[in-house]
Amino acid sequence: MKKITLLLLIFTNVLIVNAQIKVTGRVNDQQGNSLPGVNVVIKGTVEGTVTSIDGNYSIEAKSEDVLIFSFMGFASKEEPVNGRTLINVVLGEDVQQLNEVVATAIGIKQQKKKIGYATEKIVDDVIVQAKSLNLGGALTGQVAGLTVSNPTGVFQSPDFLLRGKKPLIVLDGIPVETDFFDIPTENIESINVLKGTSASALYGSRGKNGAILLTSKKGTSKDLQTTVSTTLMVSAGYAAFPDPQHEYGSGSNGQYEFWDGADGGISDGDMTWGPKFEPGKMIAQWNSPIRDKVTGETIEWYGGVKNTKYDDRSRYERVPTPWIQHDNLKNFLSTGIISNTDMSISMKTDRGQFMMTGKYAYQKGQVPSSRVNSGGLNFNGTYKLTEDLTLEGGLSYSKVYSPNYPRYGYGPKNHMYTVLVWMSDDVDGEALKNHFWIPGQEGYQQANYNYAWYNNPYFAASELKQVHDRNVISSQVKLRWDILPNLSIQGRGAVRIKDLFENMQSPKSYMNYGDSREGDYKTWNSEQTNFDTDVLLTYTANISDDLNVTVNGGASYFYRKYQEEYVATDGLIVPGIYNMGNSQGPVMATNYLEEKATSSVYATATLDVFKSWFLTLTGRNDKSSTMPTQNNSYFYPSVALSTVVSDYISMPKHVDYLKVYGSWAQVSSDLDPYQIESTYSNNGIFGTNPKISYPSGIVNSNIKPEKSSSIEFGLSTSFFKNRLGLEGTYYKVVDENQIIELPLSKASGFSSRYVNGNEYETKGLELALSAKIINKAFKWNIRTNWSFNKKTLTKIYGGEEKYNDLRVGDRADDMWGTQWQKTDDGRLIIDPNTGLTIKDSEKGYLGHTDPNARFGFQNTFKYKKFTLNVDFDGVIGGVMSSTTIKKLWWGGRHPESTTGRDDEYAAGKAVYVPKGVNVLANGDIVENTTAVSWQTWSQNYPYRANVTEDENKKFANVFDRSYVKLRKVALTYNFANNNKVRLLNGATVTLFANNVAVLKNIPLVDPDFTTGNDDDLQDPSARYIGVTTKFTF
Amino acid sequence: MKIIVRICTCIMLAAAAISCTDFEELNLDPNKPTETSPQLLLTTACWDVFSEFDNFQYESRMLVATDGESSEQFYNWTRGDFNFYDDLRNIQKLEEESVRVSSDAYLALANFFKAWYFYNLTIKYGDIPFSEALQGETNEIYTAKYDTQEDVFVGILKLLKEADILLDGNSEIIDGDILNEGSLDQWQKLVNAFRLKVLLTLSHKSTIGGETIASSFASIYSGKALMNDVSESTQINFLDQSGSRYLNFNSSSFGSGLYMDSTFVQKLIDREDPRLFVYCTQTPNALKAGKAVNDFSSYEGGNPTVQYSLVNEKAVAGNISKPNARYYDDPVCESMLLLGYPEQQFIIAEAILRGWISGDAKAEYNKGIKASFEFFAGQASTKNYSSYLSTEASDQYLLNSFVDLDEVTSVEMKISYVITQKYLQTYFQAGKTPFFEQRRTGYPNFKTASGVSIPNRWMYPQTEYDYNNTNVTEAVTRQFGGKDDIRETPWYLK
Repeated sequence: MKKITLLLLIFTNVLIVNAQIKVTGRVNDQQGNSLPGVNVVIKGTVEGTVTSIDGNYSIEAKSEDVLIFSFMGFASKEEPVNGRTLINVVLGEDVQQLNEVVATAIGIKQQKKKIGYATEKIVDDVIVQAKSLNLGGALTGQVAGLTVSNPTGVFQSPDFLLRGKKPLIVLDGIPVETDFFDIPTENIESINVLKGTSASALYGSRGKNGAILLTSKKGTSKDLQTTVSTTLMVSAGYAAFPDPQHEYGSGSNGQYEFWDGADGGISDGDMTWGPKFEPGKMIAQWNSPIRDKVTGETIEWYGGVKNTKYDDRSRYERVPTPWIQHDNLKNFLSTGIISNTDMSISMKTDRGQFMMTGKYAYQKGQVPSSRVNSGGLNFNGTYKLTEDLTLEGGLSYSKVYSPNYPRYGYGPKNHMYTVLVWMSDDVDGEALKNHFWIPGQEGYQQANYNYAWYNNPYFAASELKQVHDRNVISSQVKLRWDILPNLSIQGRGAVRIKDLFENMQSPKSYMNYGDSREGDYKTWNSEQTNFDTDVLLTYTANISDDLNVTVNGGASYFYRKYQEEYVATDGLIVPGIYNMGNSQGPVMATNYLEEKATSSVYATATLDVFKSWFLTLTGRNDKSSTMPTQNNSYFYPSVALSTVVSDYISMPKHVDYLKVYGSWAQVSSDLDPYQIESTYSNNGIFGTNPKISYPSGIVNSNIKPEKSSSIEFGLSTSFFKNRLGLEGTYYKVVDENQIIELPLSKASGFSSRYVNGNEYETKGLELALSAKIINKAFKWNIRTNWSFNKKTLTKIYGGEEKYNDLRVGDRADDMWGTQWQKTDDGRLIIDPNTGLTIKDSEKGYLGHTDPNARFGFQNTFKYKKFTLNVDFDGVIGGVMSSTTIKKLWWGGRHPESTTGRDDEYAAGKAVYVPKGVNVLANGDIVENTTAVSWQTWSQNYPYRANVTEDENKKFANVFDRSYVKLRKVALTYNFANNNKVRLLNGATVTLFANNVAVLKNIPLVDPDFTTGNDDDLQDPSARYIGVTTKFTF
Repeated sequence: MKIIVRICTCIMLAAAAISCTDFEELNLDPNKPTETSPQLLLTTACWDVFSEFDNFQYESRMLVATDGESSEQFYNWTRGDFNFYDDLRNIQKLEEESVRVSSDAYLALANFFKAWYFYNLTIKYGDIPFSEALQGETNEIYTAKYDTQEDVFVGILKLLKEADILLDGNSEIIDGDILNEGSLDQWQKLVNAFRLKVLLTLSHKSTIGGETIASSFASIYSGKALMNDVSESTQINFLDQSGSRYLNFNSSSFGSGLYMDSTFVQKLIDREDPRLFVYCTQTPNALKAGKAVNDFSSYEGGNPTVQYSLVNEKAVAGNISKPNARYYDDPVCESMLLLGYPEQQFIIAEAILRGWISGDAKAEYNKGIKASFEFFAGQASTKNYSSYLSTEASDQYLLNSFVDLDEVTSVEMKISYVITQKYLQTYFQAGKTPFFEQRRTGYPNFKTASGVSIPNRWMYPQTEYDYNNTNVTEAVTRQFGGKDDIRETPWYLK
């Protein structure tokens, strides 16, 4: 009925041409604060505007028109024009917030009250204030159930886990594969998180783990509106910094002398167990001059002498130089800078909305010569071709370019591996920085303090280049035909092409374990095309006042193609020329092509009964190219029910409303391409003979799709006129038919086979609470969210007793590892022959890796034109093992590793007696009295097996991961327009600090950077401070 | 409007057309084959077979570690792994593809490699899965039963016998052979030399599978083609090219904490053996003092039986030699002998001494030593040392009282001389072979810390207990009364 009225109105408008008058006014909230961004629409049309930053609006309307003022979080208001030219409006807050429309799966928009599953919208401020190159990190702690990792290095992307699984990212209705560096942050209007399976069942297998929906901005202002915003931020100290010991230098057993940096001198191949820094101490080092013993001549020299005339110890020697401490890690890292400028132009006309945005962002990393640039242009528009035909289109181009970015992980390619763990403080970093090459061997041999394991970190950071050059083009066209007021059809096509060129340029003598040291040039060229197309038919039937039915039916097709070419030299002839023609050996090249397609049909039906009961049924059938033909078609049903209880049961006075809901869904997932047939792989060549090998996993040509069933219940309520809001969801997910690689006895010739098996059950609880603690001229709002979940292994394939380390009933995230042997009462057993602990041949339980709880806590303070945001988040419980800490002990760089050295060197023998017991041959247990070298002990006990904090606090390498982080502090001042500046409609300035501080249990590292173990040797967790200014014209 | 309707129709028709794509065809991997010519798998087999030859031979008392406790050096290792079965998977495919293309030659080589791996597995553990092994894909046998070691040896000898028959007079042309350049004659000689090696491994036994070991040995020795000189050794010659370089090339491990073991160094010094110069470096102190390369006093090793921090002290004092730099800085370094002519000669000499065959033990033994000198002299990376490894040098060497077989009278002592010579030529050449030879013969003597004895085997991998529990438990019960211990004695040593 409504729609018919609407249509009639439109016709009336067309038929009767009336004089337009200009209506202006101001929109305030009940406290008298101006409300910017309020939609002002002429009822029955698409014509409208939004209020400026000071709440003013101006619109052309006819005397008999009705203006609708709507703003999220406020009750909409209608005002008939009635010939007025000034209409000031006060909007009251919407206590129910249930009529708000949010995006749900496959682009269907739905009122919140009708949704029978958990969704959560990201607060607008979060998007506006996300000014790093990657939007992802800004979502940390914002949504109950969404976990975001925050890697500390430049150009590292965060991981997302939604209820413990990797969610789908959807941009304007189209699923995208992205690391968020190529998502134009400034173009994002809103982010809505569909948490559970029920929410995203309509996305099929791609959406089986929930989805994060991003929606682009649309032009909303009738006038041409331009905004320009710019941000500059710099690193300022660290939230967490791994500070090693600074008392002892390179060497072993307290001794050191450099000759060839590979154990040719005195322990000059490795380790920081050398001499103490003491005034007047002189030692031959890598940058010490060379003296000719025959002529007495001395020569300035940097690095080793291999392949020079000085490689003759009977004639030449290094002249000892002062043994001095250098603070290498702090000196190595410089100030990081991020700048970000974006601009948008938007416009709205009678028939269409247009939006154009552009941005350029730049980051200089803390590691020398690391940089990332990103930029992009987006255009999107909606245009009404005729009254019943609407065309929407979007085109965007993003570029991500890094001329050089650092590498992480445990190995010589990572600067932290060298500077933090394996380069001692005696090494003069300045000299390394100023002397990349051995004299006379420029371009061929790096100057360094070590020639066994490590690179000169300055040389490595500047001379090795890792280039990333990505171009992403997305386009989307949507055509919608409103056939009847209650019947519409839309067709859509979207293409996203990601073109990536990567290369790595390694100089001669660069060392990476077994790689060539003759210089290297490797290139990877890849292109990925994702093509999505769908049609959707929507029909609404108002059967009676108490029954309304909406039916959607659709079909879609998804095609993905990925191809890659890899070409590499085998050594370089001329140093510094990175070209395939400059290869010493034959050039190696491979290519790869992968294709996948899914075709689907789906339907949904929503029943509104008595305007307070809402039932949604959905069904989708996918057919995937990656599954065996007999199993490649599968169905996903879901059902969701929600009801606004407060609409028909009277509630206590302070309860504004109460909505309860429940849902059930089942989804399936497929495989990656080419997983159902065994194929030989190329393993390189010997001479001209290719080597090929057969895969170690047995494929299963009868494999079935994985199946997850989820059930969830929730409620949403608010009290005291919306001063206090509460949302809660409980869910249970059962994952069955998991496609697992079942480990096999290698005697079968294979190490695993693919089977459908195992069953996991995940139970979780999510709570979100918001409160307006002070709501006067000074406002203090808080939001907090908590999530708890636990995944348990409930069945093992074939009824086996164990699956890897786990038994039925164990948590899926239980961590087991090698421990030291203990007596029955838990005392550490020490072998009196070696003075060392003994590895237990059975693995021990170390704890579970997922935290017991995750939380976020956001504060907003407002006073006049100031807004202050203070955000915290953190985790409670869970364990993580630290590779950094283990390696620091082994290498002698751990801050605690200094304690036993002086006594031992003074005594000239081992004096450290570890606390523990000896088990005698007759079974008697006696206190250990055997002294052991402190270096030997430190290289074994805290390094070669897992030590929990309960076992030994000092030597622990497995830690409780609990932390609380002060994520962000941002102070915004809003210069509302006072008409002193022409053209300017508004301006804001924000001062902020990100990653401010962390309160944590684990020493040295920041537990926030990963959801797994610390095995990546991360950069110190830098704090950033910055300023953003935004102007609207 | 019309245009738009047309566009719409086109899009939908296109979508409909695409969705009719053959999904099955789309999921055929365009990048990789499902079938292959056996030659490609032969290259893989020829390369993989050396996979353990780059190991640091701590258990054979050739190297010591000073930056951590090596469980091999201290004889306190626990479990081994079954990674040889990974290599065997490709051998199994080599066999299947040979049968598919009906090639006896490739099939014979598949037999040889199978025998080679199963031999190395059984001497490492004892009973192993053999008759039911490698059938995970073909027959869905995921938990293969363990065969007794005797049955495994019978099976190995049968595989090799068949290989010999398949290769006999075979004139097929094979490709991908990076060891013998397609010479089936040389492969046949290798197969037969390996049969001798397997039989000699059973020197504690008199019969195998109902046949007398000595007479089996004798009939192969007299009736089958064997290698005639060092040029007929089966070996890999590394190339300076990606994927073809010496296994330890650029290995960082040589740069810290890796030193020579005094056991090995002392044996070479005692015999004034010039191979010492190509194996290791002079000590830092000797270099500082400017001593000559062939000054035996400039080489020293570390004591393998004391706490590693003590060995480190000696290293810190500049008194221990390291492996020669060519092992990690020369991309082709030296060829690796899979089973070389020298080893064959020492096998024959031992068999003569044991009375299995008749012949001149000393002559065969001397041929082995001279061939070993010739082998090391012929490597590009040893050209600076060639004068020390000349024919004159080896002739001189044969006169040394610890070398000359006539210096000792008892058969046992003569055998100790032969095994010691076998030992001295296996540095970075033979994986764990010298260790197992020591367990079989007791030579050379390996020092241990007090109260520590030399183990005989490795414990079965944890994965067997996890995924093949019934069978491994049965095998451990059958052999060692349920105790899977490194000092239990497998059948062949009893």
